[in-house]
Amino acid sequence: MSLKLFELLLQASIYTVTISVVSILIGFSIAIMLSGMLLSKTPIFVLPAQIFISFFRGVPLLVQLLLIYNLLPAIGLNVPSIVAAIAGMSLCTAAYQAENLRGGFASVPVGLIESAEMVGLTPDQIFRRIKAPIALRLTFPALVNEAILILKASSLVSVVGIIELTRMAQDLAGSTFLPLQIFAAAGLIYLVINWIVALAGGLIERSLPGVPR
Amino acid sequence: MSLPAIAVRNLVKTFGDTTVLHGIDLEIPQGQVSCLIGPSGSGKSTLLRCMAFLEEATSGTISVNGEVLGFTETAQGVRERISASANRAIRAQIGMVFQQFNLWPHMTALGNVSEALKMVQKMSRKQAEELAMAQLVKVGLESRAGHYPSQLSGGQQQRVAIARALAMKPKIMLFDEPTSSLDPELTGEVLNVMRDLAAEGMTMVVVSHEIGFAATVGQNITFLDHGKVQFSGPPQEVFKKPRNPRLEQFLDTYLDRGASMLL
Amino acid sequence: MTFDINVILDQMPQIISGAGVTLLTWIVGTICAVIIGFFVAVGRRFGGMLLDNVLGFAVAILRGTPFLIQIFLVYYGGPFIGLSLDPIPAGLIGISIYGAAYYSEIFRSGFLAVPKGHIEAGECVGMTQGQIIRRILLPEMTMLVLPPSLNMAVLLMKETAVLSIITVPELTATLSAIGAQQYAFVEALSVLALFYWVLVEITGRLGHFVETKLTRFRFFNA
Repeated sequence: MSLKLFELLLQASIYTVTISVVSILIGFSIAIMLSGMLLSKTPIFVLPAQIFISFFRGVPLLVQLLLIYNLLPAIGLNVPSIVAAIAGMSLCTAAYQAENLRGGFASVPVGLIESAEMVGLTPDQIFRRIKAPIALRLTFPALVNEAILILKASSLVSVVGIIELTRMAQDLAGSTFLPLQIFAAAGLIYLVINWIVALAGGLIERSLPGVPR
Repeated sequence: MSLPAIAVRNLVKTFGDTTVLHGIDLEIPQGQVSCLIGPSGSGKSTLLRCMAFLEEATSGTISVNGEVLGFTETAQGVRERISASANRAIRAQIGMVFQQFNLWPHMTALGNVSEALKMVQKMSRKQAEELAMAQLVKVGLESRAGHYPSQLSGGQQQRVAIARALAMKPKIMLFDEPTSSLDPELTGEVLNVMRDLAAEGMTMVVVSHEIGFAATVGQNITFLDHGKVQFSGPPQEVFKKPRNPRLEQFLDTYLDRGASMLL
Repeated sequence: MTFDINVILDQMPQIISGAGVTLLTWIVGTICAVIIGFFVAVGRRFGGMLLDNVLGFAVAILRGTPFLIQIFLVYYGGPFIGLSLDPIPAGLIGISIYGAAYYSEIFRSGFLAVPKGHIEAGECVGMTQGQIIRRILLPEMTMLVLPPSLNMAVLLMKETAVLSIITVPELTATLSAIGAQQYAFVEALSVLALFYWVLVEITGRLGHFVETKLTRFRFFNA
């Protein structure tokens, strides 16, 4: 397999990484909002959040992408396919990240909250200074994992017409009749990207004080 | 006669179908070191946590320096919840040390001790850290101020926890099995800090299995069993023969923990 | 925008066929994945360092690359190594191998999570290795791996949708086609989403129920 082909794959992988990163960031912001809604304990917020999370975790990402891609024009929103792709991915990862955050908050040891109460911190202060920082640290490994899952899942945006790594591999495999080499090379690029993310995640985790080992 | 530091009246606590405390009456005078001893399940930790309002009593009242904590109760048994801010103000007189230390893992020792000074007493960071450092010196850990809890031994963590509670200048200190999670050779450093605190006249309520500590530092021992106060009095009276039969049974299991010195 | 669900529901026979293929590839694929994954876990645990490393390498690749790429390799690349497969068999192989990698990790953690003390207790009363594995290791392991295994099964069910891309006639492909024919994408995709959503919710509740039934056996804090 020639270098030129590999170059093309690498260029396409930039789309993969960019779309993934943007989706993760937007997804995280939405997830924070969802967590807030879940923690608020008022049914008018909790219920929609639960339904959202249930839907976007229960329906396959591919179906979500197809739905958004076809639904937006139907309600009059004609957006470029990349916007539809990022919207779909963001909503999906938001649901998973919200679930992870929920788990993180639930794992904060009760004793740490009690000692904060005893020393006089108000509920608001306890949330800001104790509960949230610790919950985020507990959730961190799951968030790194989710990032890797998003990078792999980005392969599906090829069905809504984005030329990211998988789509490029498909096109090249079709035109060069070398599917084994092309898809293997694409797989290799995914592996390297994921490995870098895992490594970075591990380094950040180690530098954060208070992450349970 | 001055107001008792803590007054417990007819305290009942149930968890679902199980009654853990069957109407406890107890008074902790100012400046006294009071030890709660008893077998597992006797309710001593629950009683302590009720005093701190970490558990809500089912009925009965707890008063701290004359002010009712948590719920007021009329003679007819009508209970009314006290506002959260009022509770916070009363609780500010109490400091608590936990069996699991409960230090916040994302802050250094200094950070742990100074946190409440910054958040509750609104001190500047510099001022808070100065006062916090003084507390750490008091428990002998000034050299560890910049360390995170994960870098400290159990005994050190507990001493930081004590410093954290003391930083808020409480009038009463509650200790819930402070040495039970420690390796035997580390209990000494914590008990020494508690001994010094007692010598300074701090009102203390200690739930502990350290009978030796209770006998030598305690001024009043309350023996709890099956959720009732079986016996309460100064160490000499509690431990002299002939003893309450249940207490005898209980002490038999603790003879090698220092109660033998009392025989 | 009009929303006429009947346009879709009129095609019920096709939909049922598609759902059937989804369920088929899911259940058969998952069962194969569990079996292969179990043997991989056993091989890695008891088969010596070389086997452990080789299988570990394979597992890392399967878990580090997208499922779609793996499916493409099997379906489009297969013929080049003499493996000319129809979509459904290719899909089944894809799900089985992909799932096996994940199940092998679940079972490996299960092996490690059984407290060593329980095994040692068995040795001390004189049980043979075989007896220990049959009466202690496997039963305890099963309790531990059941929740993540059910989770993984649900994940695999969602992955079957990806098989539509290599023209496996499962539900996503079927309803997408109907949507295109009847020019009723929104209705078709809504039915599709609903199907998966309901199925996932039901399986999730079932799994939760099974989990709660098992907790009475967990007297050690796993």
